[in-house]
Amino acid sequence: MARVQLENVKKIYSGNVTAVHDFNLDIADKEFVVFVGPSGCGKSTTLRMIAGLEDISEGTCKIDGEVVNDLQPKDRQISMVFQNYALYPHLTVFENMAFPLRLDKKIRIHPWSEEELKKIDEHIEKLIAQHADATGNDKKRAQLEKKIEELKASKEKGKEVKGFTQDEIFERVTNAAKVLGITNFLTRKPKAMSGGQRQRVAIGRAMVKDCKVFLMDEPLSNLDAKLRNQMRAEIILLRKRINTTFVYVTHDQTEAMTLGDRIVCMRDGFIMQVGTPTQLFDMPDNLFVAQFIGAPMMNTFNTKLLKDGDKYYVDLFNRKLPISGAKADALKEKGIQTRDILLGIRPEHLIVSKTASEGTIPVTIEVNEMMGSEYHLHVSSEDGTKIIVRIPTINLSDKEREEMVTGHVINLAFEPKAMHFFDPESEINLLAGPEAVNSKGPIILPGEREQA
Amino acid sequence: MEKLDKDSYLKLSKWKRFVYKFKYFFLITIPRVFFKIEILDALSYLKLNRWQKLGYKIKYFYLIKIPRFFKNLGLKIWKGIKGFGLGVAHFFKNLFVTFKEGDKFTKLSYLFMGVGSFARGQILRGILFALMEIVFILYMILTGGYYLGKLNSLGLVQPLDADENLVANADNSFRILLYGVLTIFFIVAFIYTWYLNIKQNRINEQIKKDEKAIATTKDDLRAVVDQQFHRTLLALPTLGIIVFTLLPIVFMILVAFTNYDKNHNGISNALFGWVGFDNFGQLFSWSNGTNTFSATFGEILLWTLIWAFFATFTNYFLGLVVAMLINKKGIKLKKVWRTILVMSIAVPQFISLLYIKNIFAFDGIINDIIKFFGGQPVHFMDDQASPLMVRVTVILINIWIGIPYLMLVTTGILMNIPADLYESASIDGANVFQQYTKITLPYMLFVTGPYLLTSFTGNMNNFNVIYLLTGGAPHPQEMLKVNAGQTDLLITWLFKLTIDDSNYALGAVLGIIVFIIVAVISLIVYNILPSTKNEEAFQ
Amino acid sequence: MEKRSMGMAAKRRVANITTYVILVLISIIWIIPFIFLLLNAFDVGNPGLTGNVWPEKWGLGNFAYLFSAESNFLRWYFNTFIIALFACVGQTAMQFMMAYALSRFRFKLRKPMMNMMLVLGMFPGFLTMIVLYEVLSGLGMTGDSAVPGLILVNIASSGMGYYVAKGFLDTMPKSLDEAAEVDGATKFQVFYKVIMPLCKPIVIYTVLTSFMGPWGDFVFAAAIAKGAQGGMNVATGLNSWLDSSNIAGFYKYFCAGGVIVAIPVIILFLFLQKYYVEGVTGGAVKG
Repeated sequence: MARVQLENVKKIYSGNVTAVHDFNLDIADKEFVVFVGPSGCGKSTTLRMIAGLEDISEGTCKIDGEVVNDLQPKDRQISMVFQNYALYPHLTVFENMAFPLRLDKKIRIHPWSEEELKKIDEHIEKLIAQHADATGNDKKRAQLEKKIEELKASKEKGKEVKGFTQDEIFERVTNAAKVLGITNFLTRKPKAMSGGQRQRVAIGRAMVKDCKVFLMDEPLSNLDAKLRNQMRAEIILLRKRINTTFVYVTHDQTEAMTLGDRIVCMRDGFIMQVGTPTQLFDMPDNLFVAQFIGAPMMNTFNTKLLKDGDKYYVDLFNRKLPISGAKADALKEKGIQTRDILLGIRPEHLIVSKTASEGTIPVTIEVNEMMGSEYHLHVSSEDGTKIIVRIPTINLSDKEREEMVTGHVINLAFEPKAMHFFDPESEINLLAGPEAVNSKGPIILPGEREQA
Repeated sequence: MEKLDKDSYLKLSKWKRFVYKFKYFFLITIPRVFFKIEILDALSYLKLNRWQKLGYKIKYFYLIKIPRFFKNLGLKIWKGIKGFGLGVAHFFKNLFVTFKEGDKFTKLSYLFMGVGSFARGQILRGILFALMEIVFILYMILTGGYYLGKLNSLGLVQPLDADENLVANADNSFRILLYGVLTIFFIVAFIYTWYLNIKQNRINEQIKKDEKAIATTKDDLRAVVDQQFHRTLLALPTLGIIVFTLLPIVFMILVAFTNYDKNHNGISNALFGWVGFDNFGQLFSWSNGTNTFSATFGEILLWTLIWAFFATFTNYFLGLVVAMLINKKGIKLKKVWRTILVMSIAVPQFISLLYIKNIFAFDGIINDIIKFFGGQPVHFMDDQASPLMVRVTVILINIWIGIPYLMLVTTGILMNIPADLYESASIDGANVFQQYTKITLPYMLFVTGPYLLTSFTGNMNNFNVIYLLTGGAPHPQEMLKVNAGQTDLLITWLFKLTIDDSNYALGAVLGIIVFIIVAVISLIVYNILPSTKNEEAFQ
Repeated sequence: MEKRSMGMAAKRRVANITTYVILVLISIIWIIPFIFLLLNAFDVGNPGLTGNVWPEKWGLGNFAYLFSAESNFLRWYFNTFIIALFACVGQTAMQFMMAYALSRFRFKLRKPMMNMMLVLGMFPGFLTMIVLYEVLSGLGMTGDSAVPGLILVNIASSGMGYYVAKGFLDTMPKSLDEAAEVDGATKFQVFYKVIMPLCKPIVIYTVLTSFMGPWGDFVFAAAIAKGAQGGMNVATGLNSWLDSSNIAGFYKYFCAGGVIVAIPVIILFLFLQKYYVEGVTGGAVKG
């Protein structure tokens, strides 16, 4: 149960390659944080620095308030699940899961059993009697007093036991196995198991020990799509059961969105944005986050934002589309004037209009990908701009479905509520707070920007 | 030269045109064709025909790759020297700074090793440092100093006096050299430990400043099986290598610069001393009336290379063929065939080699069979045999020795060639032979490149086969003078020179030359092999 | 339409038959020297080198001689066995210590050490012989008491042969070590609880090859025993029977000795063939 604090953490490899730049993050106790980003963005490196598998070049990492920079992995009280499972091939599933428990030789306090308590009481009484007898001998009396105090304290405190007993190990492993549904495989070797089962064992091995932080490094990426969905759901359940701090690394935005309390989106060693899934989806700080989260990718248009009196418009395909509601208020509050922008609209926020009107633009369907519950339409406008549209199939009539074919012209309407406005230079969201990081050009962190 | 345009060329007289053409050819055309290379991109390369491609590749190799190799080598050496220089500078700077900024314990540690460690509670380290200092001082006083002092002369008191009587307190050049080298090793080790002892102080002062905990003896002991476990692992093997390989080799390298031989054995007849590069000079100019030494050296070197080439490649290709035969689809009893061959690896080589030597002896079984069929007995491997005969026989027997091993090696790799390569090739219309030359061989060569290199150098030093089979025979008169034969490899010759003739100095020179040849071949081949580096994609 | 001259199946059958014929020939060529050796070993006729293969007179006399008090064969055999026994334990340990440290740890001197060993390996091994003889004779480990000396020589520098073991260790995923470290293992525990159990095949290979080495070791054994009968191993001993002065009286004894030496090694080899093949192929690809 622990808070994890990363303060100005940097990873510089020999040869001056910086893998992680100035990483700042405060992970609350029992929070589930997901690091997400394309491969090579430094997410795994950061996780491995928390685990102690990589040295921290600069900055500090604290677990539970204690600086752990110089601690070895085994002394950090962490559990970790690896991408390729990292099961010990020569050990059975049971022994794999028992492995961390057998190595743990820490002294733990157990409650005394009834019998033991009785014995202690008897002993104390005996000593008290001796104490009473020993009048006049101050030295002995003092010794006895000390002994009695010690016994009382020990009675209060409980029994000190080094490591885990055989029974405890058995109980912990079988419990975890039960939770993960692998009880029947306990006597097998990892080789004789499927990928999904192996990953369960790996999770089980991480579960059995007492840990402050549970680290997972792309645990699902070696599984096939179907199994991945299933395991994802199970991780959500598991998380409820274990109830500790989780740090989870993935390159898959769906996993990030479904699992995380908070998501840390990274690129090239920089944090692009930290926030809840909703924040990242609805209010991306910059174009990178906007395009990384959500599938298919957000559409962008190089265009102009117009301010006409109190009202805002976007100039799209020679049409002046009004912006109203919350977005307009936010723009006004920020005092944004007429300017060039990069307009972003997610494919699912484009509407296929049945009729052409002033606010719609005609586009030609190039490809229609049938995804089952929805169509992904790849369309192009008259000036050749490529746009992706995502429309649910359930509301479409048979006739409409027939029309959704290559070459057919449809009318697209734009939902102003779902529009995102980015600065074309820095790609920062115009409505984002001051902490937003640019995603184009050399990345400038908020603090540095003020200095510049 | 000045290039002329068409008009001015036409203006020239006939003779001058000829001269111009001549000059043009040598100064422009030849350099352009042979010494200039235009780097092609992938597409223009592909447009070349087969011969142009070959020409391009060859030119690329000697105009780009070889210069680059030497440039890289030079850079590496320069970097090494620079690194060393910087290291030394760093060393002295550290010593100075540590002394200046250190507390009194640190300062005392410069003289009495371990004081700082004791003062900071690292008892174990302190004891070890102090022990090292005591042992070192005692060693230097008792023996090391003596040997080190004599190292320059390798001894002055000859073992025999003028009347050839043994002198009581004579020097021993061998010991002086050996223990002198050992002492130098020890001094280096001592300086390193001394430096460590000082560095410890610096680190600990820093830790104290940061208010962190200094490692206790208990921590140190724990680190032996944890953080410092690699040192624990390496300690014994490294010590073994230093004492039993590095020290003897340094010793022998030094011997190459002395006159250590049977007339100067350093112990019982005469001391040996430094002679500089005389031995190397002798190797190339030694004349014993007929200048045999350098001629012999040339002949042996040539045969060594020929032998290494044939021994490596015959085994390789035939081993591959045997492996492919056994692994052929539809062949049964694969395990049996393999086991029959593998059995011959299991029999200790000296038995099979000595036995085969006697099968091929003049009165051996083979000749018996030849006689049975009415032929004349043949000298296969003795002194009466012709050199060609012996050499061919040795290579053939080596094939017998090597094929089982190569069969195993190649079987494993053959199995790893993806089956779909063959499937797609057969769909593309390649027949079995084409599949072998276009898929199997290139794949094998690519994967086993480093292995071929090591087995080439290994064969250059293949002592057992030659020594046990022929012992170098045949020995023509002029080679016998320097105890060599026509199938001797450098390594067997070296053996004979040192062990039979006690000509240690020359043996050491030969050893150094073998090393240089092996090192140069390895270095160049290794840098060119495709499987070690995959830079030029379309080559 | 043209009629095909031969069907696919028929073609394949011809190819297979040819292959079988070649394989049988190969097998004969590779086995026959050993058959000859065996036949010679049972020939109690002329003890010298003779042209005939088939024994003039069958008998076990040659073997009886080997085990009699007359010959030193048993002593040689025992010497070699002891050396092999120590060598296989010692060399395996040294090579694995070296290989494990170089494969699993990254430290400053790693690359220089590897280069240094590569360079040292390029010097002909005999160069060390003179010095080693001197050192060992100083320790009283030459001549008749050469066995401990040979053991020492066999083991001391064997760390340089770390390549095959390292190649094998390098294929083991690093995440196994990391998982074990996160699970609370010290580096030593990672070594002996996680990695070592997985190295069984390559340990067996190393043990096998280092056990076989001393049986064929000739040069060093000869140099360190220096002709003393009590300190010889089988290779030097049996070779001394083939001297031009001895061969006339001892050739058949040599054959019998060869059989006795070869049998245990062959048996061991046949049982562990699988591991040997694994090690050899793995080592070759790594180079």
